Amino acid sequence: MNDPVFGIGKLDDDLEGIPFKKVVLLSASPAVGNEVFGYQIIYNNAIHKNKVLLFLNRTSPQVYLTEMKDYDFKIDSNLVIIDSYSNLTGIKSAETATTRVINNPSDKEEIRKRLSEELEKGYDLVVFDSLSLLIDSFDFDFAVSMVDLVKQKLQTKDSSAVMLFTDWEYGENDINKLGTRSNAQIEIKGIEKRVIFGQYFAVIKCDWVKGKQFSSVLFKAVKPGGIKIYFPKILITGPTDAGKTSFIHSASKDAVSVDRLGGTIALDHGNLDFEGYKADLFGTPGQERFDPLLKLLGGEAIGVILIVDSTKPDQFPRAIEMLRKTETYGLPIVVVANKANLPGALALDDIRERLHLGKDAPLFQTFAEDLSHIDPNEPTKLKKEGVNGALRALFKELT
Amino acid sequence: MTGIMTGFPSFDAATGGLDVRKTYLVTGNKESGKEDFSYRLAASSLNGKLSVVYVTNNKSNTDLLSEFTARSLNIAQYLGVSMTILDNYVRSIAPQAGDNNYTKVLNGPVDLTGLTVAVSSKNSDLLKDGRTVVNIFDSISSLLLYNNPVTMFRFLQYICGRAKMSGVTTVFLLDEQMHTPEVNETVRSLVDGIISLKLDNGKRYFTVSGVAKEVLTWTPLG
Ligand SMILES: Nc1nc2c(ncn2[C@@H]2O[C@H](COP(=O)(O)OP(=O)(O)OP(=O)(O)O)[C@@H](O)[C@H]2O)c(=O)[nH]1
Ligand SMILES: [Mg+2]
Repeated sequence: MNDPVFGIGKLDDDLEGIPFKKVVLLSASPAVGNEVFGYQIIYNNAIHKNKVLLFLNRTSPQVYLTEMKDYDFKIDSNLVIIDSYSNLTGIKSAETATTRVINNPSDKEEIRKRLSEELEKGYDLVVFDSLSLLIDSFDFDFAVSMVDLVKQKLQTKDSSAVMLFTDWEYGENDINKLGTRSNAQIEIKGIEKRVIFGQYFAVIKCDWVKGKQFSSVLFKAVKPGGIKIYFPKILITGPTDAGKTSFIHSASKDAVSVDRLGGTIALDHGNLDFEGYKADLFGTPGQERFDPLLKLLGGEAIGVILIVDSTKPDQFPRAIEMLRKTETYGLPIVVVANKANLPGALALDDIRERLHLGKDAPLFQTFAEDLSHIDPNEPTKLKKEGVNGALRALFKELT
Repeated sequence: MTGIMTGFPSFDAATGGLDVRKTYLVTGNKESGKEDFSYRLAASSLNGKLSVVYVTNNKSNTDLLSEFTARSLNIAQYLGVSMTILDNYVRSIAPQAGDNNYTKVLNGPVDLTGLTVAVSSKNSDLLKDGRTVVNIFDSISSLLLYNNPVTMFRFLQYICGRAKMSGVTTVFLLDEQMHTPEVNETVRSLVDGIISLKLDNGKRYFTVSGVAKEVLTWTPLG
C-alpha cells in the first residue's frame, strides 16, 4: 500500500501526494470537464496497488471504464464502483465482484447505507464523480452529509478522498460548507471570452503543505495520455513581410527563426518574459505557399498578435484570412500596425476601419528603431514602446 | 446583419429570420410541429453556410437523420463539417454506443455538465474557425423531466450566458404541456424570443414575441 497520488506531475510536485484522512475537492467551472483528473488519479492509484472505491452517478460503469481506456488508463483490479446511475436509466447493471449497484438512485437512504457499508471495508482512496450531481439530484445538505460520512470513515481507515465537483454557482454559503470540509481545493477553469481558448488548474488551498507558492498551469486532456501541462503560447501572424519575425526578435532575447532570404519558411520562436508573464511566441510564415503549416502553428495558442504593414492596405484581407487559417479567430487579439513611420503609412483610424476593428479593439503602431540599418534579409529591431504596448494589451485581455 | 432563415417563407418574410446571437424558445404541444420547425431550421442554416450543433435528448443520432431524410432535407454533405450532433439519448437504449465522425455521444439527461462541456467546446472549435453557429436543443422538455427545476435553471442560465458571450444563436424546444406553469415561466424568462407554434384544423400557425419584429397574431406557417 502506497500513499495515494494524483498521478498528475504538477499536482504531485505541488502537494506530494494525498496523505491519509484528507479530502480533496476538485472544483471545475461548468464548461470545463474535470472527469479526466478522476480517471488519471484512479488509474495511478490502482496500478500502484491502492484499493480505490469510485462512487459514480454521472455515467454507467461500462462507459466510465471505456472512457478511461480511451485515455490509455487500463486497469483490471483494485477498483470497485458503486453504480448510482444505471438504474436511473433503462440500462441493466448487474452486481459483480467489482460493482455495487444502487437499486434506486433516487433513494438517499439506500445511497447512504451502501456507501457506508462499502467504506467500512477499507479503501486507500475514495473518488466521487460527481459531488455536484448529488447536489443537483437531491440537495446541498445531502451532498454535504455524504462528504461528512466519507470524512468520518477516513479517520478510522487509512484512506483519503477526491471529490469531483462542478461549480454551477450554487451560492457562497453552500460552497463554503464544502470548502471548510475539504483539506485541499484545486480549481479547474477555462479562460473564457468569446471562445474557451485555454483551461488551467491551480491549487488554491492545501492544509498539509506549508510555505509553498502554488501557480496555475494550462492543461489539455489528451487521448491517449490524460492531463498534459503546456506553456501559454501566443501566435504572431500576418501577411508576408509585415514584420512578424522582426516583432518576435524585438520582444524576445533568444528568438530563433527558420528563414530563407529574409522570409520565414517554417516558424519563428521566442521565449517571452515580460512584466511577470512568461509565454512562448510562435511566428508564422506569411507567404501563401506555407499556408498548410498555419493550422498546426495556431494550435493551442491562447492569444494572437496580428501584424500588418501600415503601408499595404491591399494585404489587409490576407491578414484576416490568416486568422481563419490559423484557426485563432475569436481569441484575444491585438493588432500591430508596423512600418508606421514609412512614407505612405496609413493613420490608425484608417487602419482600424479597413480591418473592420471595433473602436475598442487594441491597435498599436510599431516601427524600426533605426531606419538607417534596414537589411532586406534580416529582421529589424522595432522600437520598444509599440512592442511593449501591444504585449501589455494582450496580457490584459488574457487575464 | 441579415437574420437566419428558417426555411418557412411566411415566417422569414414576416420576421426577417432569427436574429443572430439571440436565444429563442420554440414552444407548442406535441402536434404543433416544433420538431419539424427545428429540422427545417437546421437544414436551412446549413444551406446558408452556418454551422449547427444539434443536441438531441429524445432520439438517437440515426433517428434524427431519418427525420431529415423523411422530409427530403439533404444534409449529408454537412455531416461532420458544419453539422455536429450531440447525442444525449442513444446510451439509454444502447449503453455502449460510441462516437462517429459527426456525432458525439453523451451520458444522458442528468449529466448536464457533460452536455455543457460538449456544447462549449464544440462551439469554441467552430468559432475559432470563423463560423457562425446555431445551437439547437431538441428538446429541453426531456431534460426538465429528469432534473429538478433549480438545477435546470442554473444550466439554462449558464448556456444562455455563454451563448450571449460567444454570439451563438440558440434555440430551445419545449413542450409546455409537459411542465407546470412556473417551470414554463422560468424558461421563458431566460430567452430573448419566443416562437409559439400550433396546429389548428390541419394547418400550422406561429407567433413570435420578444424580438425586434414581433408577430403577435397567429399567422399561417408555410
Ligand atoms: N522600414 C522598415 N522596415 C521594416 C520594419 N519592420 C520590418 N522591416 C523590414 O521588413 C522586412 C520584413 O520583415 P520581417 O520581420 O522578416 O517580416 P515577416 O512578417 O516575418 O515576413 P515573412 O516571414 O516573410 O512573412 C525585413 O527586411 C525587415 O527588416 C519597419 O518598421 N520599418
Ligand atoms: Mg518572418
